[in-house]
Amino acid sequence: MRNLQGFSFICPYTVLSGDIGQLISYIMDDKPNILVVLLVDQKGEQSVIEVDQVSKRFGNVAAVRNVTFSVSSGEVYGLLGENGAGKTTTMRMMATILQPTEGDIRIGGYSVRTQPVEVRRRIGILFGGDVGLYNRLTARENIAYFGRLYGLTGPRLDQRIDQLSRMLQMEAFIDRRVGGFSRGMKQKVAIARTLVHDPDVILLDEPTTGLDVTAANMFRRMVTMLREEGKTILFSSHNMGEIEKLCSRIAIIHKGSIRYAGTVAALRERCGMNDLDDIFMAMVEEGRH
Amino acid sequence: MDRNVVWTIFAKEMLDLLRDRKTLIGTFLIPLVVIPFVFFLLSMSYSNVEKEARSYVPIAVEGTSKLVDHLRSQPGVRILSPDRPMEALKAGELRAIVTIPDHFDQVLRSGGRVQLHVAYDNTNQKSVYAKSVIDSAVQQYSSDIVSMRLRQAGLSVEAIEPIETTYENAASDERQTGGILAGIIPLMVVLSLASGGVAAATDLVAGEKERGTLESLLTTPIAANQILTAKLLAVMVMSCISATASLLSLSFVFRWGPLKVDGTDLSFGFLSPASLAVLAATIVLLAALFAGLELTLSTVAKSFKEGQTYMTGVVILAMIPSYMLMPIHPVDIPALYYVLPVFNGVALCKEAFYGEVDPLHTLVGLGTSLLYVTAIIAATARLFRREGAVVR
Repeated sequence: MRNLQGFSFICPYTVLSGDIGQLISYIMDDKPNILVVLLVDQKGEQSVIEVDQVSKRFGNVAAVRNVTFSVSSGEVYGLLGENGAGKTTTMRMMATILQPTEGDIRIGGYSVRTQPVEVRRRIGILFGGDVGLYNRLTARENIAYFGRLYGLTGPRLDQRIDQLSRMLQMEAFIDRRVGGFSRGMKQKVAIARTLVHDPDVILLDEPTTGLDVTAANMFRRMVTMLREEGKTILFSSHNMGEIEKLCSRIAIIHKGSIRYAGTVAALRERCGMNDLDDIFMAMVEEGRH
Repeated sequence: MDRNVVWTIFAKEMLDLLRDRKTLIGTFLIPLVVIPFVFFLLSMSYSNVEKEARSYVPIAVEGTSKLVDHLRSQPGVRILSPDRPMEALKAGELRAIVTIPDHFDQVLRSGGRVQLHVAYDNTNQKSVYAKSVIDSAVQQYSSDIVSMRLRQAGLSVEAIEPIETTYENAASDERQTGGILAGIIPLMVVLSLASGGVAAATDLVAGEKERGTLESLLTTPIAANQILTAKLLAVMVMSCISATASLLSLSFVFRWGPLKVDGTDLSFGFLSPASLAVLAATIVLLAALFAGLELTLSTVAKSFKEGQTYMTGVVILAMIPSYMLMPIHPVDIPALYYVLPVFNGVALCKEAFYGEVDPLHTLVGLGTSLLYVTAIIAATARLFRREGAVVR
């Protein structure tokens, strides 16, 4: 029932419609034999992230142009593009660090333009490359700091840190300073920091950049686990194979514009090619001409 | 503003800064260890030079006179006869050469005037001291001659020195100490306030920008003003710690070190409650002004290195008023200085140490400081809220 959007009663003489509450009241009123048609969105899930005709300019440079896509609840959505294509700028606008020049982004129904604090409460963002941790603090102190900023305190915070520590297998180094950690260990701490407040929406901006094979695999398992928990995930990458493994739908962004948005299968069908890297390169080349 | 959030960020910033070697060196080690060490080293070196200069004063004398007896009676004087006196003087083996002309004593006895030639090396501190020893001996011999001539003329010394002046220093020992400290302490306090927060300010914005932590921080549901307030407080605290450390180390140097002022026992008794209140308010406002300025520059900087370069300007900016006001007595400080930023803080510090806190100066100085602090914090907050300023 989580993804139910609404309903319609198709009666011999009339069509009734309404929300879930009204449906329950009709049933309770013992309406005559009617056909109940549950109306849900195209994938049976409501959109949690809605990017609506968003553009971002830095002076005369248009970094993002008229980008539109939506991510459904519980979906892992891939944002694919070369370096400099506009992925990070789009992510930063979602995280309210940058404001769109045009258009709007709604996360969980809240606008990044008018309700940035509400948006920030609902998201957890992990930037790739430099994972943005305080090297002089221990892993626990890093996670606890962000937890407190999201309003977690006392035993609730301690329990959450312990839970994340077990989940990400960080027990051995949770009380050591982050400065001496390997890239993979740091990434685990950064994930814990991103998830400390248990956000509904998780934004992952090129999260596997710089990770070795083992750490990248661990990370992918983590994303799968979060998907199973029903989290909505937007995953940006330039690695087609990785995106294919994790994402149900993708958007390909090139020079700030969306070139394709849909399923990987539909993309293959449209391009008549099987190899995703070839498809990606073909689209990039097409964009250059 | 949620105080818990500001406290959370402030507490984390302090923990982070206190674990940073660069910050610890800049804030604690330099004022507490390096400054006293440099003072000790300089004063020890100065004392050694003076001690050596006094204990052994080798001079050469060409010619004869009773003056030579006076020279010999001066402490430390040794009369040598090197083969090449001028070369020995240049080599530092001799400190001075006294050339007494022929018939020196006879001319003096007959009431004439003679010319004494003294060669010395102005670039050698020990030679300069030898010159003062020779001057003293000449003065003694000259007095003897004058007394003799007065006796011959039937006159007494009073005839040529009709007025005898006695001097009494109205300043108490404590006041004298304050006067000495009023020269150097405002300089050290202002420099410590400016430099003490540099490492913290650079690290807390430019450093965080470079490490990507500021971006993560800005994705939390915290207002940018709360983040800035916590960072400002952290930089202010580091500046104040540095200034306090400087004050303590200077007190140590003046009380127990080789720079101990003769005849005066250092105490801060000259600081009245009013002076202390003015001093504390001035230090806090100066710390806020420098913290605001440093955070502004750190926000503008695109990298840690760029931030460090900008910070040099802040320290130089602090040095200008400090050095300009160092030799000026509070009564001679121009009224305009109580309105100019940093100048007003230095001027109020001087007044506090002289124990002459003027209510109008205090009002104008603290009032204008408050205005500057408000302006710089508003500018920093505006800059900090701009998306381009905090994201690389």
